[in-house]
Amino acid sequence: MSSAVPRDKAKVAAASIAAERRTPTVVLAAGLLAAAGFAVPWVVGSQLALTLMTQAVIHAILATSIGFMIRQNGLTSFGHAAFFGMAAYLMALNGKLDAMPAELAVLAAIAVPAAFAFFAGLIIVRLPALSFSMLTLAVAQSLYELMLRWRGLAGGDDGMAVRLPSRLFGIDIELFQAPSSMFVVSWCALVAVIAILTLVARSHFGVLTVAIRENEERARYVGYHTLVPRALVFALSAAVGGLAGVLFALYNAFVTPGALHWSLSGEALIMAVIGGPQAIWGPALGAVIFFVVKNAMGDLTEHWPAIIGAMLIVVTVLLPQGISGLLNRLNRLNRRSREAGKA
Amino acid sequence: MTTLALEGIDLTRRYGGFAALDKVSLRLEPGEIRGLIGPNGAGKSTLMDALCGRGGPTGGTVVFNGRDISGLSAQARRRAGLARSFQKTNIFPALMVREQVALAARMAETDNTDEVLVALGLLDLADRRAADISYGDQRRLDLALALVGRPSVLLLDEPAAGLSINESIVLARLLKDLASSWNVTVLLVEHDMEVIFAVSDRITVLNLGRVLAEGTREEIRGNPEVVRAYLGSSIE
Amino acid sequence: MIQVINGLVYGSFLYVLAVGLVLIFGLRRVTNFAHGSFFMLGAYVSYAAAAHLGFWTGMIVSVAALAVFGALLDRFVFRPLSREEPIVTLLVTFGLLFVLEDAVRTIWGKDYISVSAPEALSGSVTLFGSQFPTYRLFVIAVAIAVALGLAVWLRSTKVGLYVRASSVDPVTTAMQGVDTDRLSALVVAIGTGLAGLSGTIAGPLMALSPSMGGYIIIDCFIVVVTGGLTSFTGAFVAALVIGQFHNLGLVYVPEVASVIPLLIMAAVLGLRPQGLAGPRK
Repeated sequence: MSSAVPRDKAKVAAASIAAERRTPTVVLAAGLLAAAGFAVPWVVGSQLALTLMTQAVIHAILATSIGFMIRQNGLTSFGHAAFFGMAAYLMALNGKLDAMPAELAVLAAIAVPAAFAFFAGLIIVRLPALSFSMLTLAVAQSLYELMLRWRGLAGGDDGMAVRLPSRLFGIDIELFQAPSSMFVVSWCALVAVIAILTLVARSHFGVLTVAIRENEERARYVGYHTLVPRALVFALSAAVGGLAGVLFALYNAFVTPGALHWSLSGEALIMAVIGGPQAIWGPALGAVIFFVVKNAMGDLTEHWPAIIGAMLIVVTVLLPQGISGLLNRLNRLNRRSREAGKA
Repeated sequence: MTTLALEGIDLTRRYGGFAALDKVSLRLEPGEIRGLIGPNGAGKSTLMDALCGRGGPTGGTVVFNGRDISGLSAQARRRAGLARSFQKTNIFPALMVREQVALAARMAETDNTDEVLVALGLLDLADRRAADISYGDQRRLDLALALVGRPSVLLLDEPAAGLSINESIVLARLLKDLASSWNVTVLLVEHDMEVIFAVSDRITVLNLGRVLAEGTREEIRGNPEVVRAYLGSSIE
Repeated sequence: MIQVINGLVYGSFLYVLAVGLVLIFGLRRVTNFAHGSFFMLGAYVSYAAAAHLGFWTGMIVSVAALAVFGALLDRFVFRPLSREEPIVTLLVTFGLLFVLEDAVRTIWGKDYISVSAPEALSGSVTLFGSQFPTYRLFVIAVAIAVALGLAVWLRSTKVGLYVRASSVDPVTTAMQGVDTDRLSALVVAIGTGLAGLSGTIAGPLMALSPSMGGYIIIDCFIVVVTGGLTSFTGAFVAALVIGQFHNLGLVYVPEVASVIPLLIMAAVLGLRPQGLAGPRK
């Protein structure tokens, strides 16, 4: 055994250097991508296209939050609109009740869904994956019904306007409502979310939660508590969903119970599945494809629900890893054939 | 008198009217390799469960390095240095080999991931996904997960299950090495008698939830009750 | 008191819907996310058939049509996907939910349609000193009939024995030589047929709309999870309790009634993570 040690030591050292090199790469890539976002409104002149792109990016953030949950916890949420809508309604209710400064409300609208998910998670992430999926749908739909029926609080079916101060974080509020500037804001948020989640996934916490996803019992027998990390993943995912809801509320300045409806959860889930949640960036790619397809449908959008339903069925059956999974596999095959060519 | 590495006193576990363990007591000296044998359903795995804090409530007391750990959770027992491997390969298929051993190491006081990878011959596979390595390698990975962080006591549930004869012999030699060089105490359940007799310092025989006999290899081989209850003609 | 009976009506109706999911889960270890759409489809099919054939024949047509639909679902979705992770089936049935809602909306429009109770049941009876629609008592009677029918079927027939065995351990049961595929087609058909039945009896109670399934499926899922997924008795008890409290909530605190079932479920799962009657892990 001892004869192998020098060679082994070199290998050990090489691996740890590779790990350290990753973090700056992620940050640098994120910075470049975010910067590229600033150029988009100059290149894309059409307001209509920018509106659509802003919507797509906000949905991409919601889809990313669902994908992260699937990737780290192995649990599929059918009710992530709960966090999206909860955040949007918190913004709106704060505008109505004037409970706190709008800046604080933004933070609260992200923190409250996270806290809710954490405590709910302590109960429901323990359940079989199937029950988890059923209950996320049930929780979101119950909130939808709550907002629909409680007219006195939030206007019921009619929804409510989100009253905002003229400046938020020192930025003119109109910039949040014009597609050209809001696209940049949302894009930067999306890039930041993906960068942060990528770093989290590579951290000890990320590896631990994947380990728990894979084999919870074994994780316990190597000495870890498994419930809290899973609830924390759910909370982080909810916080990202909440962020999407905040952006939505700022952009539209109006909220209806539709922000909680299962069809929104379902659409975001479909984006995540199409993109493939095993890559952190997969669901965002799925969102882009979703909007491109939707836009290309023209008159057929009347039957949009049937089309996305069919899309979901086809992708789930034929492409279970999603598009990102397909790209990764092609990439690996390509690399292997090049290596084989060299040898 | 030296402190025992692990002591179980009157361990009892019932499922309805059936006693899977009935007042089983067990004393492991530090550095000892103890074989645990018995026919199917004798209570071997249940005894392991009771010692490591898995499954339902257990009567009796578990003393670990002089400390009563009966009230501790499985996690706390692992962190204190009582580790176990499983009968069915129990690893994290999607994680890299190194990744998961390092994960287990973080919970222990000493991070000796590389040492364990080298000792178990897993270093060349360190950057492969556990799902992609061979069954024999997965068995050793399971062992690595239990062994990392230098636990003082290892409970091994059929580590040689499904291995070829050659692999079993290598594994037996490895266990013997580890026990002496790292001073680990091992409680070993194994169906493969070759392995048990090759490595155990002493052997405990369970039958129907009770200790039937305990002694050295020779004593167990010569014990007529053991032969009648379990070993039959398979013993040479 | 009348409100308690109304709660019983709602609970009955939840039970008929939920027990279908319990049956399907028992055999296939998956759930049908489109169960609410089947319920909705059942309501529309019986409405369409009843227009020509009357309520009772409409009911039979609806149950039969949905049962056939269930057998097809088993053959073309559950069976081919049974080797995949359960989530694959969930996603596919979820996609089906979108498709079915769109189909119903295209055929019957999205406006509310009201259905009247059959003549024989359109009157009311005096109960505890107040008037009570006969039709609602009929709903309770249907649920009792379904519960008894299932109990007899599960306990006294060979197929019932297989179903019970399979819901405890599908793999072992399959290894005993039971033809799980045929059994499953039958059981899924019964499950979706029951969705058709509950859709039919729901018609006169609530207006028909393509989104009616989305509303009811929430409580239905909560009932199934609270009951412990595989337990018929658990589903029965959970349906009655949750139906009762949800209904009382609608009367006394209508704004927040929709979260009551969730709170009951959270309380049950907090104490018993495996559900009311689920197997202990």
